Formats: sequence, structure tokens, C-alpha cells
Amino acid sequence: MNEIVILSGKGGTGKTSITAALAVMAGKDAVTADCDVDAADLYLLLKPDFSKTIEFYSGELAVINQDLCTRCNKCADVCRFKAITYVVNHYQISTLDCERCGYCEKICPTRAITMQERKSGNVYISKTKFGSIMVHAMLDVGAANSGKLVAKVKNEAKQIATSKKKHFILIDGSPGIGCPVVSSLSGANYVVLVTEPTLSGLHDLKRIYAVIKHFQIKAGCIINKYDINKEQTIEIQKFLCGEQIDHLADIPYNPSFSKAMVEGKAIVEIESPLKHVMEEIWTSIKERTN
Amino acid sequence: MKIAFTSTGVSWDSMIDARFGRTEYILIYDDETQQLTAVNNSSVKNEAHGAGTATAQKIYELKPNVLITGNGPGENASRAIKQLNMKIYIDAQEMSIKQAYAHFKNGKLKEIKI
Repeated sequence: MNEIVILSGKGGTGKTSITAALAVMAGKDAVTADCDVDAADLYLLLKPDFSKTIEFYSGELAVINQDLCTRCNKCADVCRFKAITYVVNHYQISTLDCERCGYCEKICPTRAITMQERKSGNVYISKTKFGSIMVHAMLDVGAANSGKLVAKVKNEAKQIATSKKKHFILIDGSPGIGCPVVSSLSGANYVVLVTEPTLSGLHDLKRIYAVIKHFQIKAGCIINKYDINKEQTIEIQKFLCGEQIDHLADIPYNPSFSKAMVEGKAIVEIESPLKHVMEEIWTSIKERTN
Repeated sequence: MKIAFTSTGVSWDSMIDARFGRTEYILIYDDETQQLTAVNNSSVKNEAHGAGTATAQKIYELKPNVLITGNGPGENASRAIKQLNMKIYIDAQEMSIKQAYAHFKNGKLKEIKI
């Protein structure tokens, strides 16, 4: 089984659009996992059916037991986030403002405040419109993505892929290089980097590649919209060459990407000059991961 | 010599956990006493963030001479465990603890310098 993680460093390079295309081409032989949970929009293109829901708990939230509370106001005094307010004879904690620092729990003289596990969202196991399996998540309002949630989504995908003997797990990772990205990398066999020919595209590509290099995972790169700045494309190609990153493809700018997105489809579902480019990319990835 | 494994279970037949920070267990094998002991890492696994450095802290307290794992510790965790002068071997994720130990003994695991 091959675990392929799609990353970009910089956001907005086309990572999710390309993941959707790969998922369509891989068909039922792949389990797709959307680990970019802060901006989980792969579902817009793959149309999963949300058939199984698993509640996800992460982090803590301060909760007041009103029976023990003596209304001394100490908690509201120390809360620097102003999350505790006095409303009609009792104190209440705003779940959006509480930063879970636990100071109120420490200071409460009657131990009326306790930190309790917080439900931060749902993980879903779905069938996509193509019949393939997709694991994805939705965060509740104010909740943040975490390495823990990414690990959960990935582990579910891995279990399904193992038990159903699938050949691929396609993982749409988060932009950046933080905790969720590191978590999405563990266990990966190959990383597909999606970049664009801009200064920040290259800068962030270098940052994410430093993380991948640390874990000694083989990587390939797609330069999306390569023809909007050919000088910068050459700079990126030089970097790929110097680091021995597989140069998977240069995708030209083409409005059909947006057209497909507006229709809620992956790029390979509509007729466009990019269809065969994407097919070549998938063939190339398969060859390199075999 | 003490050898630490990141593991998905508590026995010789358990698989190596590819993850360092969010590993299920840390298994320690002491080849002098021939004892295999398991340290449950679920408290760290449930941390939303900072799992790598928290597991590094545990490894630091256990002070093994060798670590056998999957992808290897990330940058922050590496910096923390550098002081241990512990040998680190990676890419054992497809093996059981027993197989990984045999590979280590035969010098077949990939060592990394941090």
C-alpha cells in the first residue's frame, strides 16, 4: 500500500484541485483522506455522502458547576480573555472566548470550575460520487485543526485501506509546516508538492521541503500555472534539480480549472487540454511509488 | 543495552508504529535482563499539539541507547533528544518488533544522525 501526501507549503497553489483529480483517476483503488481540516473543501468536488459520523474530542473547556459556585467573581477577575461573564445571577463561560488556559480552575476556591474535554468536530467516513471511500472532518465553530485530528483522519483511512486491500491512500494535507502537516507526513511513502511560480510559492516550497527532507521521504513536484511567470518557473526547476526532487509536471494556466470547480467537478471530469496532463501526472506518480 | 521501539502494541509480535510523537507505546528491551517492558503513550497521543516533544521527554527519562522507529522524530523532538547520544534507526514501520530487532542485530536498519 502506498501512502501519498499532497502538500504545498503555500496555500492556494491548486493542491486540493489536484488531489481531487488524482482521487478520481485512482478510483476505487484509493482511499482519500482530507487532512486539510481548517479548509476542508475536497468534499465540494468529490461529493461524499457523510454516511458514518464519529464525534471528535480534543482540548478542554472550562465548565462551571453552578451548585458549587459562590459567585465570588475570582474567575472573571483572572480571565484575561474575558470569557467569563456574570449574567442573571450566575457566571457563564463563553466557549468561543475561552482559551483553555485553566487559570479559573486553579483559582476557584470551591472547585466549582473544571476543565472538561471539548467536542471539536466530527470525522466522517463516506462514499464519494465515484464509489471510492473518503475520510474527512468538519470542525465546530471556533475549533482548530490539530495533529491529533489529522492522526485520527489518517488512521481511519489507513485501517480501511488495509482491510479492503487498497493500493493507495491519497492525503490532502494542510498548507504551512506546522503540527497538522508533520502529522500528515508520518507513515507516508511519497509526497507530491504543488507549487506556483511566485516568490512566495518558491519560498514556501523550500520550507516544506526542509521538513520532508528531515523525514527522508521521497518527493515530486508539480509547478501549477507555470506559464504565468516563466522566470520564476526556471528558479523552481533549478531548486528541484539541486535537491533531486522528481519534477512531475508543469501545468499551464487554464480557465478550465475554475470552470470545473464551479461545476463542482474535478478537472479530469470535464473535457479540457489539461485532462491528459493530469493523466500523465498520475501515471508518473504510480511509477515512482511502485 | 536498552533499546526503545515505537510500537502499536505491547508484545514482540506488535508492529512498529510509524509515528514517533503519537506512537501508541514505547517498548523498552534490555538485552542484559532480557526484559521487554511497555510504556503506554496514550496520554501524549491525546495531546492536540506538541506530541513530538512530549514523547521526546519520555524517551529522555527512559534513556535508551538505541531507538528504532518509523519516520523518525521531527525537528523539535530531534533537538530535544540530541543530548542523549542515542543511536536512531528509522524505516522499520512495516516490521514487527521481533523483526525490527533482528534487522537491527544484523545491521540492516537505516541509521540517521540528528
